[in-house]
Amino acid sequence: MLLEVKNLTKRFGGLTAVSNIDLAVKPGAVHGIIGPNGSGKSTLFNLISGVYKPEPGASIVFDGDDITDWEPHEIARHGVARTFQLLRIFSGMSVLENLLIGHHGLIRYNTASAVIGSRNVWAEERRVREEMMELLAFIGLADYADMPAGELSGGQRRLLALGRAMAMRPKLLLLDEPAASLSPVNVEIVLDTVLALKKRFGLTLIIIEHILKVVMETCETVSVLEHGEKIAEGSPAAIKEDHRVIEAYLGKEMEDSEVRALLRSA
Amino acid sequence: MLLKNNYHQYVVNVIAINVILAVGLNIVKGFAGQVTVGHIALAAIGAYTSAVVSTKLGLPFWAALPTAMLVTGLAGAIVGIPSFRLEGAYLALATLGLAESVRIVISGTESLGGAIGYENIPPPFIGSMALDAHRSYYYVVMPLALLGIYFSFSILSSDIGRAFKALREDQLAAAASGVNVRKYKIIAFVLSALYAGCAGSLKAHMAPGFLNPNDYTITEMVTLLLMVVFGGIGHIWGGVIGAVLVTIINDLTQDYYQYRMAIFGSVIVLTVMFMPRGIGGMIDHHLVRRRFKAIREAKSRAT
Ligand SMILES: Nc1ncnc2c1ncn2[C@@H]1O[C@H](COP(=O)(O)OP(=O)(O)O)[C@@H](O)[C@H]1O
Ligand SMILES: [Mg+2]
Repeated sequence: MLLEVKNLTKRFGGLTAVSNIDLAVKPGAVHGIIGPNGSGKSTLFNLISGVYKPEPGASIVFDGDDITDWEPHEIARHGVARTFQLLRIFSGMSVLENLLIGHHGLIRYNTASAVIGSRNVWAEERRVREEMMELLAFIGLADYADMPAGELSGGQRRLLALGRAMAMRPKLLLLDEPAASLSPVNVEIVLDTVLALKKRFGLTLIIIEHILKVVMETCETVSVLEHGEKIAEGSPAAIKEDHRVIEAYLGKEMEDSEVRALLRSA
Repeated sequence: MLLKNNYHQYVVNVIAINVILAVGLNIVKGFAGQVTVGHIALAAIGAYTSAVVSTKLGLPFWAALPTAMLVTGLAGAIVGIPSFRLEGAYLALATLGLAESVRIVISGTESLGGAIGYENIPPPFIGSMALDAHRSYYYVVMPLALLGIYFSFSILSSDIGRAFKALREDQLAAAASGVNVRKYKIIAFVLSALYAGCAGSLKAHMAPGFLNPNDYTITEMVTLLLMVVFGGIGHIWGGVIGAVLVTIINDLTQDYYQYRMAIFGSVIVLTVMFMPRGIGGMIDHHLVRRRFKAIREAKSRAT
């Protein structure tokens, strides 16, 4: 297993946002996470990436190392990249600089040589800029390299958030609703880019997604969260038929057959 | 030097010292986004350390300057520690507390001259020649100011500078991108403190070799903030532009000293409201934005 999460719980005051979750993801897998709003999906990502610390008793093992108590930047440098639901791109920095920050952990010169502006700093800067320009070209933003990221369109921002995460050369990429609130055309562009990146760099993916169609088409395994608990897990086909999922997703008011039809059409 | 007038030479030296101070403040405040009001106290620590090292230990300026920078750098690391937990106005308050206590301690310490001031700080010597005139001191101050500008350019255009900006923009996203947030905060505070220490030491040894704790009040800090905000916060030239302009304005308006705080305060507010990136930012806006517009237009024509 590339990622093995056990007994993960997170409380905010009286609210249990994530409750006793286990999760295992194989190298090269595309794992989906679905669930209604507020079911704890983003919190799960925040726990894996070290932004929040879980309640005692949890363990998060990534690539053979227990990263439960690591700091976010250590986890990132160890190969776990993530995007944020609200993107959090550096709007005041250029598009290229956003990627260069993603690449920060892989830039090899120290503070002292940066202060005196030594030759190797310039050589290394040239190297990483070239490398990041290649990545920008791959995600289709090369023309915007010097533009402040805040001036990009909605779809371009998503691509940039993706690019910044990829600049870390991660083994595992956590995507928090990468296609939310995009037009169908842009959803296609973002998803195609994600899958192209996966193929090119041999990534393992965990995708939180609201658009069921996306999850059903791209994921091999899907976990379903409700009120912080994992209520189901399996192949998309099996998930579609699970009555607990149907209830969680669409409420009990609808007739079972109606719901089934809806999920099938997804 | 073209400036023959002794007073003008003094002003030029003050400008150079303020450039060093402001460039340092721009690193921690402008680039790393840490709202510190402790910079002026660091300058005081640098100045008094240099004064003590040269008078009480009898070391030359050339040893007092690096010693002052070292001590100030350490003090900078301490000023930076509250930034691990505090942000914005809270950090400003914490650093203000530290800054005021430095000034109060100096004012109350007799061996540091107390409220009267520290006298007879020797000028730098080259061999047996004393650089005790403003005209000759220029040749100490100006190279150091240029060196300071050069170092700031190297830092800020490197990965270190980018990490600072990432902190300013979004600490959480910076951490998730692999930036060690605490480490870079401390680096920013220490680097900017080294500048403050250098400027402080230069002030101490400039004729007439006299320091007064009243040169390190909140008024001076506001003036310093004005330089960085007006010049262009987070702009690589911001500290330089601001220090030159504000020092000159400060000098021309000496007769209205009592109104200065009110005027500078209002200028800061107005700048933040109407020119948030300062003069440096405005220049960029006109030069650089045009290019993006061109890219945009080319793109939209293509599709
Ligand atoms: N920092 C926080 N403080 C308090 N409550 C939080 C915090 N983050 C998330 N929550 C709560 O935890 C629950 C799960 O949130 P979240 O993980 O964002 O859900 P999802 O991503 O599935 O929509 C929600 O009830 C939310 O309000
Ligand atoms: Mg969410």
